[in-house]
Amino acid sequence: MNIDIDINFSDNLEASVDEDDEIQLTPAEAIALMEEAWINEKFAPEILPHKLELVECLLGQISYMEDNLRSLNSTDFKKIIHQLEVDRLRFLISSYLRTRLEKIETYVMPILDEENERIQQGVELYLTKQELKFAKDFAEDLQHHFDNITTTRLPREEWNQECVKPNIHSFVFLKSKEEVEGIVIDDGNDEDGDLVDLNRGSQMIISYKSVANLVKNGDVHLI
Amino acid sequence: MDPDEVEFLGEKQYVTIIPTFNSGVIHLISGDVGPFRASLPVRTPLWMAINLKQQQKCKIQQPDWMDVERLESIREDEKLSRTFTKMPNEHYMVIAKLLLGCASDDIPRADEIRTIIKDIWDIRMSKIRSSVDALVKNAGSYAAVDNLTVMEINSIRPILPHALDQLHRIKASRKRPGTQSLGTTTFVSSSNNRSSFPSTSFIS
Repeated sequence: MNIDIDINFSDNLEASVDEDDEIQLTPAEAIALMEEAWINEKFAPEILPHKLELVECLLGQISYMEDNLRSLNSTDFKKIIHQLEVDRLRFLISSYLRTRLEKIETYVMPILDEENERIQQGVELYLTKQELKFAKDFAEDLQHHFDNITTTRLPREEWNQECVKPNIHSFVFLKSKEEVEGIVIDDGNDEDGDLVDLNRGSQMIISYKSVANLVKNGDVHLI
Repeated sequence: MDPDEVEFLGEKQYVTIIPTFNSGVIHLISGDVGPFRASLPVRTPLWMAINLKQQQKCKIQQPDWMDVERLESIREDEKLSRTFTKMPNEHYMVIAKLLLGCASDDIPRADEIRTIIKDIWDIRMSKIRSSVDALVKNAGSYAAVDNLTVMEINSIRPILPHALDQLHRIKASRKRPGTQSLGTTTFVSSSNNRSSFPSTSFIS
């Protein structure tokens, strides 16, 4: 019986990771990036740009592995180990996706507004196609629900203005991956606050607003 | 974050095991592990080591730093230093908990190690508490948390970020002209303005 499960990683990955940049990732690097995206998504107050390429790439690895596992005898200890790894990856990806869905449900109106703005400006979108569809359906159902239960008590304009928004000033812990200079401290007013520099590997608690761009471009990650 | 999730991240760390079986390389998605030769040490991820240990297929070697003398000196350094010293491993607490939990028979002087690590943790937690106190009293807008491990950071979440969020709101409402001067009055003022919907203490 064939117990060596061999995967041709580089072929798989090259095709699925961002075609413009031609980044080549080993599966281990892809998993590390996925973990980072998971934690970032967990702690960032707003929804972050999606990582569909990464998710699809890892899901591909998982289903490839599961196909291979079917041919293994279920008493083989290797199968247990492989199954364990697959389960860990599945947990990682589903927790990541669920975190995003949770944010979409909580902040559906502001998220849709911002996404529409991005569509109009033609810039990179934050939601995947399915997430956008989910958000629209959810908003519609919510609208419908409120119309039904609150007509007698609450005028429509009233609750439309009272939607929940993410608190982008909320405090987060971060670790820096690069040297970053001149982060403006968000001090609660619109005037320019103090500046702070980050060394590679340094850790800090700071208002998310000060570092939102750095989280999105990957110079820092949340912890 | 759930402590189990911190543990999940820590389980990726590699440890050395001494297998009691023979086997070729296992091609995991995250990289190859093995080959396994009975009684020859091999590096595996912690989650795999624990699984093999539970099946009694290996002994786990304690990491270099999990040693009474080494840990005692770390404890002394931590006591003497005003700041946080660098821990030998980013996930020292997770690894210690898991290894001492499932493989204490493989680790000499496991009880002493457990006590010292608990001491180190306690010293650091008390430092964390006094730093948090100072930070909140000074109404800081940011703070370095170098050398804190993920588990330690997680232990002051959500209380510290939330406290700073509230401070931030107070500062913002104080500085913004035209609004009530104190943060404590925002709830009252917002419910005055929108009398029909008093439950809007969300961020607006």
